[in-house]
Amino acid sequence: MNCLEVRELLPELAVGVLAPEDRERVERHLRSCAGCRKEATDLGSAAAMFAFALEPARVPQGLGDRVVARVRRAAGAPGTPRRARMAAAAVVAAMVAVASLGWGAVMAGRADRFAERAEQAERQQAEALERFQRILAGVIPGQELPEDQTYLGRLAPVAGGSGGGAVLQLVSPTIQDFAMVIVSGLDPADGSMPYRVQLVNAGGEVLRAGLIDELDADGGAEMFHRFKTADLTGYTAVNVVDATGELVLSGAVDQSA
Amino acid sequence: MEGLLAGNEEAVRALYARFARPIFTLGLRLLGSAEAAEELTQDVFLAAWRKAARFDPSRGRLSTWLMTIAHNLAVDRLRRETGVTRPRLILVDEIPEILGPDEDEVLMERDVAIRALASLSDAEKRLLARAYFGGLTAREIAEADHIPLGTVKTRLRTALIKVRRANQDKERP
Repeated sequence: MNCLEVRELLPELAVGVLAPEDRERVERHLRSCAGCRKEATDLGSAAAMFAFALEPARVPQGLGDRVVARVRRAAGAPGTPRRARMAAAAVVAAMVAVASLGWGAVMAGRADRFAERAEQAERQQAEALERFQRILAGVIPGQELPEDQTYLGRLAPVAGGSGGGAVLQLVSPTIQDFAMVIVSGLDPADGSMPYRVQLVNAGGEVLRAGLIDELDADGGAEMFHRFKTADLTGYTAVNVVDATGELVLSGAVDQSA
Repeated sequence: MEGLLAGNEEAVRALYARFARPIFTLGLRLLGSAEAAEELTQDVFLAAWRKAARFDPSRGRLSTWLMTIAHNLAVDRLRRETGVTRPRLILVDEIPEILGPDEDEVLMERDVAIRALASLSDAEKRLLARAYFGGLTAREIAEADHIPLGTVKTRLRTALIKVRRANQDKERP
């Protein structure tokens, strides 16, 4: 893309309506072209005036505390649940390993064909759940993680794609539901990020489970989201979509298990 | 920004105190509910923390950087998660009016913005708002108005440059 082509697209970039594929190409050009970058900055600043001109709304009380808490958690500040999050991620990582040993077969009801590996998988799953209970007990004393309310699933790439992952859901009538996802092998390209994790029920209703906007060197990440009000019952399909809305990973948990 | 990078509470609170309101307002305007706007506000500050190292003051103001993150996240959310292809269409009377500044809690950015937007004609304001709040691409506007695509792009650019120049004039001593 040359400067002429890029500059023709900058107004639409500034007002946020440039198609994702064009945005990616333009932003690639901007990284190496100071002149176009200056123009993009100027036009972006102008477009932002519309947002600043709006009649200010009243911000909910306590939002500042929630923002600070969220950033501190993400930053891993002392006294935050980061340790637990990492430990929980390790549990899911263990579950991924379990899956590779035949846990998927258990979920498919074919344990009889894989008896030995299934037995091993069940044992490891039970151990993982026990560890998870201990972690939760350390964070929220007294909170139990009932095994019969915890559900697991695998995430597989869509046709032609790569990557994989696992999902864990807690669906409980007494404590806040949560979902945890671990992924690996995702594409870290700017045009693909951020990835979004969605839970979908049979009616096609979608719950946001979270955003993955950073990947490690292996294209991996983990995500933990507690749902303050939503009930995860029935939200058994799990999708990971990229920034363009393309489905990259999909899977399901068996909430009847 | 260094404080923000470290997740420093005071840095986050300072940034929040200054920018939470316009971000929440934009979220409310684009997403339509206080709950979604709150979630967006949290997402913006988290994204700002994650991207803090990439912020380059020589490439624009912090306020613009944050608002661009907010706008992109909001439009992204509307397009991908609710199945809506674009934010709801803006009505002409919803376009921000050129009002005098509030008597209290005047945000510097709002004052600047209002003055900058005053440089636009009604047609230019409407055009920019259809894109910025309505999510219409230049092509969609061209088709709706039966005018050449190139004309729409030129008008968008001209209008943005007018706002930018007005803003620069305001900033000049």
